[in-house]
Amino acid sequence: MDFLRQWQQFFPQFLPGLWVTLKLTVASLVLGFPLGAALAVAVSSTRRVIRWPSIVLVELGRGAPGLIVLYLVYYGLPQVGLTLPNFLAATVALAITTGAYSSEIFRAGLLAVPVGQREASRALGLKPFKEFRLVVLPQALKFVIPPLIGFAIILYQGTSLAFAISTPELLSRAYNAASITFQFTAALTLAGAMYAVISLLAIALVRTGSRRDERP
Amino acid sequence: MTAGERPADASGTGRRAGEAGPDRSPVPLLRLENISISYRGHEVVHEVSLDVSPGEVVALIGPSGAGKSSLLRCVNFLEVPAAGTVYLEGRPVGFVQRRGRSVPANATALAEHRREVGMVFQNFNLFPHLTAVENVMLAQIHSLGRSKADARERALKELAHVGLASHADAKPAKCSGGQQQRIAIARALAMDPKLMLFDEPTSALDPELGIEVLTTMRRLADEGMTMIVVTHEMHFAEEVADRIVFMADGRIVEQGPARQVMREPVHERTKRFLAAVTDR
Repeated sequence: MDFLRQWQQFFPQFLPGLWVTLKLTVASLVLGFPLGAALAVAVSSTRRVIRWPSIVLVELGRGAPGLIVLYLVYYGLPQVGLTLPNFLAATVALAITTGAYSSEIFRAGLLAVPVGQREASRALGLKPFKEFRLVVLPQALKFVIPPLIGFAIILYQGTSLAFAISTPELLSRAYNAASITFQFTAALTLAGAMYAVISLLAIALVRTGSRRDERP
Repeated sequence: MTAGERPADASGTGRRAGEAGPDRSPVPLLRLENISISYRGHEVVHEVSLDVSPGEVVALIGPSGAGKSSLLRCVNFLEVPAAGTVYLEGRPVGFVQRRGRSVPANATALAEHRREVGMVFQNFNLFPHLTAVENVMLAQIHSLGRSKADARERALKELAHVGLASHADAKPAKCSGGQQQRIAIARALAMDPKLMLFDEPTSALDPELGIEVLTTMRRLADEGMTMIVVTHEMHFAEEVADRIVFMADGRIVEQGPARQVMREPVHERTKRFLAAVTDR
């Protein structure tokens, strides 16, 4: 029962790390989802100056490993005169990744709204912006909420990348504790469990939420 | 119209076909002039002309692929004609002249035109995230600028008119197909349209539910609404329409007073079509 004692000892040390992890997750999502929504509209823009840069951003954001984006923001930006503290750098990098991935979710959501809905809006004399705001968007949001929550759970785990630029989040707390005590297994399983408990709780929440949604 | 009038000329050219037909006031409510519509280079409507007088009920019939729905949809520019002009009360709509060329009007101009033309779709196209009364209110508020209270009052009136006052707060998913289509009719009528377009309004419905929609439409016709109805309901066309327009292969083949076209079709193509659909 050494494990239990070690976990007991580690747990209070890890809690501030969990707090940083949660803050990092929320901050990245709060910046990243609106970015994703904007990119979703921008990649289908008829104007090339809007469309092409957004396509490049989306494809790079999805194609490049998150760690490279993180390093570019943390180590690359200072070379052009913009130095960000590690929490902010991690937030920016994860927000870019979130924006790139969620833009595809938003795009699919917009496309999932039947074309007849747009036709009905137009036939009623609604102008394009109102058609989007009052008819298309509310229906698209319903489609995108479950996959967005799914992405949020992945991102929550993905924040552990910020360990690489020494953000004091959950994984770095665990790693530090482990390198001091050499109890790697105990430290990492506890950290893993802390990630898992919150992830699984969120998944369970989504599942009950979507089940309720399916009822007419 | 005179009793001895023959159905419209059967030459197949839309222009002449459009000139024949029942008597009408000097300025038709709607005039389609030499309308052609293409999809990806494939022409589905070829130089069709059609006038509709105020209060007239026109049934557009014909085999699928004849271009009926495309022609109907081009009245409110859900389909943009490749050539030709749409006039509402004598005003050309949907296009503006720029440097001697016809270019599509902007969204605002189109929206203004569409407010005057009601449309009912085959698949109802109610807004699923809104209740029945909210469906009927939405465009009143956001297209016509009516106050919320006025829009609600009008919406409840229109819902009562189609017999659905009790469903005002129901979401469309809770309503039967026939009820949904009647809500869609109420939604269009609340805009005070000058003209109503019906695109196969009963095709997605069981016959039994179709009846309640047809009854609603019949009453609308009796009240003097100008209507163009694309339909496969031959009884409805014969009994309710003033004029039947038979289309095939993107052209008007024959048109005339409803009973005449149904009972004594002149054109061979019309005879064949009517024989096929009334045999069942």
